[in-house]
Amino acid sequence: MASRFYQWIDRRLRLKPLEQTLLNEPIPGGASWNYVFGSATLFLFGLQALTGMFLMVYYVPATDHAYDTVQYIQHEVWGGWFVRGLHHWGASAVMMAIGLHMLQVFFDGAYKRPRELMWIVGVILLAMMLAFGFTGYLLPWDQNAYWATQVGINMVGSVPLIGDFLVKVLRGGETLGALTLSRFFAFHVAFLPAAIVFGIMLHLFILRRVGPAGPHDEARAKAGSETFYPRQVFMDALVMLGVFGIVSILAISMEFPLADRANPSDHTFIPVPEWYFLFFYELLKYAPGALGPLATWLLPTLFFTGLLLLPFVDRNPERHPSSRRVVLAGGLSFLIVVFGLLGISLRDLYAVPKRDPSVARGIALVQEFKCQTCHRIHGEGANLAPDLSFVADRRPDRNWHIQHFKNPAAVNPGSFMPKFPLNDQQLNDLTSYMLTLKSG
Amino acid sequence: MEDGLSTPVGTRRSFFVKTTVFISSLIGISLAVPLIGYVIAPAFQRRPKEWVSLGKTDELPIEEPKALDYSLTEKDGWQEHHATKGVWAVKQADGHVTVYSPICPHLGCGFRWDQQDRLFKCPCHGSIFNIDGTVKAGPAPRPLDTLPSKIENGNLLIQYEEFKSGLAKKVEL
Repeated sequence: MASRFYQWIDRRLRLKPLEQTLLNEPIPGGASWNYVFGSATLFLFGLQALTGMFLMVYYVPATDHAYDTVQYIQHEVWGGWFVRGLHHWGASAVMMAIGLHMLQVFFDGAYKRPRELMWIVGVILLAMMLAFGFTGYLLPWDQNAYWATQVGINMVGSVPLIGDFLVKVLRGGETLGALTLSRFFAFHVAFLPAAIVFGIMLHLFILRRVGPAGPHDEARAKAGSETFYPRQVFMDALVMLGVFGIVSILAISMEFPLADRANPSDHTFIPVPEWYFLFFYELLKYAPGALGPLATWLLPTLFFTGLLLLPFVDRNPERHPSSRRVVLAGGLSFLIVVFGLLGISLRDLYAVPKRDPSVARGIALVQEFKCQTCHRIHGEGANLAPDLSFVADRRPDRNWHIQHFKNPAAVNPGSFMPKFPLNDQQLNDLTSYMLTLKSG
Repeated sequence: MEDGLSTPVGTRRSFFVKTTVFISSLIGISLAVPLIGYVIAPAFQRRPKEWVSLGKTDELPIEEPKALDYSLTEKDGWQEHHATKGVWAVKQADGHVTVYSPICPHLGCGFRWDQQDRLFKCPCHGSIFNIDGTVKAGPAPRPLDTLPSKIENGNLLIQYEEFKSGLAKKVEL
């Protein structure tokens, strides 16, 4: 049935030659598990595009709704947690796939002449994927999204001369807010996808024009050749299934809950970037004072310039690793630094105690009792009663706060603050929060 | 060596082809089921029905339609908003109360009570209804839609519903 339908179409559109071109491309040295990373990346990109489109069915990119709609997807829409889980873990997986793909190309010297252009387009695709990660991170509009993006944008601000201007362009003005969210959304779902699809097509077009590199071993390359279909396609499919299985299992078993709704006045929140930015996050801790700004913009610039120039700097035509010791040693040192920093960063992250849950409850109480009707905290709230932004500097004593909450006028004669009906736990929670309000 | 010389042939080839088709279908189905369900799920959701109180029935005039307004929190997907709804209540001499949906069963306009003619009139397409809801004139295909109602401790309780317009039968939305 299916084949008769195909023949009917083929008689009209003459698909056979196209099929020949697409499937019967020769692979020097034959099909290999070494070549699956590009297909895995492409598959994961497709999965991101698909799940992303589906997330848009319910997502609303506005600061007063974004968080609610993501919560709605996560908790109320049938299968929503799974679709969001696939998109979340898919983002990590596609970064890993790109890393492995680049390592394979680097190790096999496949970036060398005549494949320089394919490598350059690949490096641009990597930058675009990082931009996807950065813009997508803000969209749920939770505390993590808000504060991590704040840090990311501030790093751009360290670029000399035009830094301030770039920051304003990224934010869409002076502050991170409604305009930032809509432009990040537009880039994440419209501009970047359009650009990256073009980039991917170009990457594949160049691949078909110059042909696959094949093994670095001359003898093996000459020993045999087989067509892309069916064995390489089969290997690619098997890897895609494995990758899809892993991402699905992660989505099912490790829910990725939202943090609290983005709250620009809550300076107690410590944002953590995605793991693929973590090594860089760690690196910044070792760049003191004047070196800091250099690390935030010069290093990434050097990294990408280095990658782009690699095929022109390393002009040795030899592809076998044994004749490329210096370049491979350079690559290896880079990996050791990156994974070392990632390791240190992960260790420190897990060593840091999570924020005291009592503090979070205290913040909720401040909202519940509308303390900011009179008090100001970090620029939010009225100025009728003392500003509490750094209250712990003045009143570091836990007991003082508890007594004061119980009966403000008794501790602070003349105070017009009412006695709120607080139980012991609420007294403690509110005090815990007050004690975090300090400078430095 | 010629291109493609070591390409698998025969049963080996058909094994690779069949497995690839199987794997693609497996991934496709595993994705299609959750994704399609995710999109169509709201179509299967019924809005929760709650009884809302419209106040005491003894305050209602007998044989005289009265527009009753009430406010409620409506859940609209991820959004919640406060809405004010109005319904028409007619109390009979025996104390029984009939509650009409405020929406004309013809094409969904809001009808009015004409005190002089003692008829419900829809301003859009001229449907006219008697006080008992039956069609007196105009294009309306069915009588006014009644809403489920009950009286508890003298309070009139209703369930707000909407119905498809333009049909001879009352079909809930």
